[in-house]
Amino acid sequence: MLNMKNISRIYRSDTIQTHALRDFNLEVKEGEFVAVTGPSGSGKSTFLNVAGLLDSFDEGSYELDGVNIQGLNDDELSRLRNEKIGFIFQNYNLIPDFNLFDNIDMPLRYRGFNAAERKRRITHALEQVGLASRADYLPSQLSGGQQQRVAIARALAGEPKILLADEPTGNLDSLMARQVMELLHTLNEAGSTIIMVTHDPEQARAVGRNVQVIDGQITDHSVYAPVHDNASIVVKG
Amino acid sequence: MEMFNYYLKLSYRNLIRNRLFFILMITTLAVGVGVFLANIAIIKSMSADPIPNKSDKIFNVSLNIWTGNNPRAELIEIMRYDDAMHILKNDIATHTMVHYQSQVYTRDIESKSLTRHQAVVRATTPGFFPLTEAPFAYGSAWQQDHAKQIVIGDSLNQQVFGGGNSVGKVLEIDGKPFEIVGVLKPWELKPLFYHVAYGQKFKATDDIYAPIETAMDNEWAINVRNSSTDRINSVSDNRGKNGYFIQAFVQLENQQQKNAMQEYIDNYSQHRQEQGEYLRDNDNRLLDVKQWLEHKEVVDERMLAFALASSLFLAVCIFNASSLLLARYHSARFETGLRRAVGARIKDVFYQGVVESMLIGLCCAVLTLIFGWLFLQISITLFPALQQTSDIDLTLILLGIGIALVTSFISMLYPLIRSCRTPLSTTLK
Ligand SMILES: Nc1ncnc2c1ncn2[C@@H]1O[C@H](COP(=O)(O)OP(=O)(O)O)[C@@H](O)[C@H]1O
Ligand SMILES: [Mg+2]
Repeated sequence: MLNMKNISRIYRSDTIQTHALRDFNLEVKEGEFVAVTGPSGSGKSTFLNVAGLLDSFDEGSYELDGVNIQGLNDDELSRLRNEKIGFIFQNYNLIPDFNLFDNIDMPLRYRGFNAAERKRRITHALEQVGLASRADYLPSQLSGGQQQRVAIARALAGEPKILLADEPTGNLDSLMARQVMELLHTLNEAGSTIIMVTHDPEQARAVGRNVQVIDGQITDHSVYAPVHDNASIVVKG
Repeated sequence: MEMFNYYLKLSYRNLIRNRLFFILMITTLAVGVGVFLANIAIIKSMSADPIPNKSDKIFNVSLNIWTGNNPRAELIEIMRYDDAMHILKNDIATHTMVHYQSQVYTRDIESKSLTRHQAVVRATTPGFFPLTEAPFAYGSAWQQDHAKQIVIGDSLNQQVFGGGNSVGKVLEIDGKPFEIVGVLKPWELKPLFYHVAYGQKFKATDDIYAPIETAMDNEWAINVRNSSTDRINSVSDNRGKNGYFIQAFVQLENQQQKNAMQEYIDNYSQHRQEQGEYLRDNDNRLLDVKQWLEHKEVVDERMLAFALASSLFLAVCIFNASSLLLARYHSARFETGLRRAVGARIKDVFYQGVVESMLIGLCCAVLTLIFGWLFLQISITLFPALQQTSDIDLTLILLGIGIALVTSFISMLYPLIRSCRTPLSTTLK
């Protein structure tokens, strides 16, 4: 699904060069749920941005769902982002004066779906995150946890190959964080491939596979946690 | 098309959400374009061709005959009565007219009221009408040189008789009756090429057209500017004397005819010189309408300087709007980044910006026309000489809309390119 080999990403400014990623290798298979941990500034976000095609890389090779990323132009990259990737941000990044429907509608617009298909997908995505009855709410009328679930619905609506989440619970209190995590687990069990950056060791432990990023490199491969047994989680609105 | 509607909706929402900002920005642009437009409107009518279908066939006749010993350096465009008669009586031109302008007070001789209307008189010859293509509503020109007959313009006809066919009616001028033999339709000539003296060139066409002999017989002399080297006691006294006050225009169809006329006036002035008159270099000129208007500097140089200033002002307004937009795009880069992250191509972002600039351009166009009209009114108040120059016609309206659209696109371009280039990873957390 995702295969990075010897990736390096260097930020250059006038005075310094930062090796945000160096000789970075990672392979993620379809259906995996990967937790990425590591100290602050170690390159976790950079990795996720490169993986999500939001950032470029300087060396190495990157293959996403069988497509070699090297040398693709903006049109092709945008299309991959649109069709294969669902991004979930720490700050939710909802547009405040769009209602939930219009927020989730955004990626679908660029896919060129007709109105009926968009509506079907938006409704389905809202159902998946348990907010089906609130399509015309504004983000500000929801709690933080609900907003993050809207952001997840936005990521899901395009039926992506992979979900990338950068500290999705970083802004949430523990109860809401648990609900979001339960949602991600449900999605994973339904087949979604997920890569999630997290600070929370407990969250990491609950996930199928852990990798650790230190100083721009993967240092700790595939510590498999015990299989969790929360298949019966029901998400409430 | 669906995307276009989507972008239109987004742009509309954007405008409404940031209305204060956009009002400021659009007003800035509209003021710039409006001033520019008003300026173009003025210059356009100043430099208009008053008689486009034959402006290259109508010539002003300037003779270089001056009997004084201190000739002015410039071309002399006024001539003596005797010179004018020579120009008039030769058979070279298709149409010839000579004229001078005066002013009289007149009333309907039948009217009970004794109120007199001030009227501008063109003392001229019947050739005036075909040469200038003055449109007759009723009647025609006079036949006899000394006839007590006149042609009147539409506005005097409205004023005195309330319009209609006034042929056969009689106007009293200075106590004497003059029969109306022709009435013109409403008639505009901008600039008034046959009389482009300062303060005249954008005036309306005349109220009364009278035989030049009749005008002189009756001593119509108000406003007549007579340069003379003889002592002249009255207008009629000009016959046979050196009083310069008449202008002449001829219609010449081709080069042959023009050469013939040139030869005629050269011979004529040669002849006068042989009779002892002072003559400068043999510099008799036939200038066609365009050359003539240029020679008379009908497009005021101050206006051109003002045009330059107003285009610089427009540039400043564009820079201003652009920097305002730059700041706005900077604050909107979160949304742009988000759109890019979920799959918008740079093209899509750019296209959305273009749609937005069109919407802004349209708002700007509406304001531009309002401001343009306003500035034109202000210009007219400041420079009454522009009074008659000032209409915003359809071409100008379209031009205004066009400039507004282009201007807002230009203002938008740099900020938009900047916003397209923002790296994605830095805008989203
Ligand atoms: N856009 C950027 N420009 C320059 N340096 C950056 C940029 N983004 C990240 N960095 C640097 O790269 C390193 C890794 O950052 P990041 O991937 O955000 O770490 P993490 O998410 O693990 O906290 C840090 O030293 C950070 O300062
Ligand atoms: Mg980070």
